[in-house]
Amino acid sequence: MMPSALITGITGQDGSYLAELLLSKGYVVHGLVRRTSSLERSRLRSLYRNPEVYGKTLQLHYCDLEDATTLRRIITKISPSELYHLAGQSHVGLSFEIAESTVDSVAVGTLRLLEIIRDLSAPPRVFHAASSEIFGRPSSMPQDEQTPMAPVNPYGASKAFATQLCRIYREKYGIHIVNGILYNHESPRRGENFVTRKICRAAAAIRLCLQDELLLGDTSAQRDWGDARDYVRGMWQALQHPTAEDFVFATGILHSVRDVVDRAFSEAGVDPGRHVRQDDRLLRGAESTSLVGNPVKAERVLGWKRETDFDGLIRWMVQAELADLKAR
Amino acid sequence: MSNKKALVTGITGQDGSYLAELLLEKGYEVHGIIRRASTFNTHRLDSIYTDPHFPKHKLFLHYGDLADASNLSRLIGKIQPDEVYNLAAQSHVRVSFDAPEYTTDITATGTVRLLESIRETGIKPRFYQASSSEMYGLVQEVPQKETTPFYPRSPYGCAKVYSYWVTVNYRESYGMHASNGILFNHESPRRGETFVTRKITRAAAHIKLGLQDKLFMGNLDSKRDWGYAKEYVEAMWLMLQQPEGDDYVVATNETHTIRECLDVAFARVGLDWHKHVEIDPRYYRPAEVDLLIGDYSKAKKKLGWEPKTKFKELIELMVDADLKLLSDQLAGKVRRAE
Repeated sequence: MMPSALITGITGQDGSYLAELLLSKGYVVHGLVRRTSSLERSRLRSLYRNPEVYGKTLQLHYCDLEDATTLRRIITKISPSELYHLAGQSHVGLSFEIAESTVDSVAVGTLRLLEIIRDLSAPPRVFHAASSEIFGRPSSMPQDEQTPMAPVNPYGASKAFATQLCRIYREKYGIHIVNGILYNHESPRRGENFVTRKICRAAAAIRLCLQDELLLGDTSAQRDWGDARDYVRGMWQALQHPTAEDFVFATGILHSVRDVVDRAFSEAGVDPGRHVRQDDRLLRGAESTSLVGNPVKAERVLGWKRETDFDGLIRWMVQAELADLKAR
Repeated sequence: MSNKKALVTGITGQDGSYLAELLLEKGYEVHGIIRRASTFNTHRLDSIYTDPHFPKHKLFLHYGDLADASNLSRLIGKIQPDEVYNLAAQSHVRVSFDAPEYTTDITATGTVRLLESIRETGIKPRFYQASSSEMYGLVQEVPQKETTPFYPRSPYGCAKVYSYWVTVNYRESYGMHASNGILFNHESPRRGETFVTRKITRAAAHIKLGLQDKLFMGNLDSKRDWGYAKEYVEAMWLMLQQPEGDDYVVATNETHTIRECLDVAFARVGLDWHKHVEIDPRYYRPAEVDLLIGDYSKAKKKLGWEPKTKFKELIELMVDADLKLLSDQLAGKVRRAE
């Protein structure tokens, strides 16, 4: 029998890459989608339009993490062998503006899911997409699986809550649950209001004379940025490991927003000095410290490898933006 | 020109986008609430941003959700709107059977969260509630008017009945200028692709251009009263310009079957639908509503409103729009799948 997987957050960056990966491995993939008045599933477009895939090996179900009864009905019906929980309001800056719904989807949504799984006679293996934001202002650099949580924004606090609950349900009920503590990971499918995508898109648009200026907040802010495709492969590897444990997925290397600007503009062949300006309105209230992760455990235990480095990532993203803008 | 401020929930939807355009044309400052999603979902507002005759600097979008009470209160306190239009909902009837709890949380409880936010801030905006002909469900009289008892036949219909009554209740209990527009089906080229009229007009265009061959349909004998969304949003605005809040049916007082919709749409592209349509029982609703047909004489008398675009013209303009959109996409002018 073909293995089956359920992905929450399948319309997002990670969900779409993970769906592609699992389909290529012969899984039947089920995804939860929120109902909206527009069918915006652009990241799944190629799968969605393939009649051999959509409705057959890829099935989408309307469901919101707020809706416990629907969630229960779908999970019970599908009874997946693996469940990848990626859904949630994931924008850190916005989590201050829409705190209540962020906490409801990210924290309480995870709890609802765990409560349903707990009642199943054959619970799936569960991957929970935890985040480096749980460390916020960390006591050590780099962070690993033992670093205490110290979130500094509603998103990080919600992810910390969800991560702890996953550990509790793993210990208390013996469910196979893995927390993947994911550092920033990017791709051409990153949301357009995330900084790497915003910069790469602007560099391409400036190159093609479609835009003149790029406004940024704090360009000295540093992050540990990887390639989303490497990270979704890590998710799958983590669930194939015989024991359920937590893993940090990171590159271990910090780069500043300034570095992204320099790489992206150089790739596009434009001078950042003439087009990039700081805008104080874009500065974040409580900024996380420069978070950097130690991926040694995932590398050693899972054999996880990264195929793209920072330069390769930015090159890929800028080239994708150039191709996309030219196609218009 | 007015210097009023309006807040529109559901601004990214069909009605919200037409209403935003109408209000901007009337000089309003328009604020809209949008849900956060990892993909952009504001394409129905594109014309406001690209058509120079709309004052786009008077359109403000805020992240929020009818599930997020604190954010709603904060937004209403900050914006201090003169008029609030509550158009947001999980609005798909069939989906409301699949996800009734979420539908109820947004379509019913969302309304009382919004009304409570307004009450607590102490400002006194006029309030419009998007009520629906689905509230009549198993119809108690034909045609339906403002005094016809409700008998909803779906979780969506039940949730809309709650919102209707809570709107009436806030009008009576707190003296709020609150109105219900009981809108019968209203369509346009911006209708969601999973709604039946758009599904048909879009398929007619696809089949005409050789991109599709089959169209799977549910019950072809279902009858609806279909009007043009662009005209229906004018009725919403008119309700809030009256001295008192009240409830109005907005409809065409005509009814047509899905079969007739197929006739008109496929004739427009010179095709015979019988060669392309297949019946799939999965599209049948668990409980079908009866003959929905709305008597809009109160809206005509009090608001001076009546429908201008009737069924045939409406379906034809939708087919034409879908043909144009699809041709533009094939020519590479539009990238988006919609």
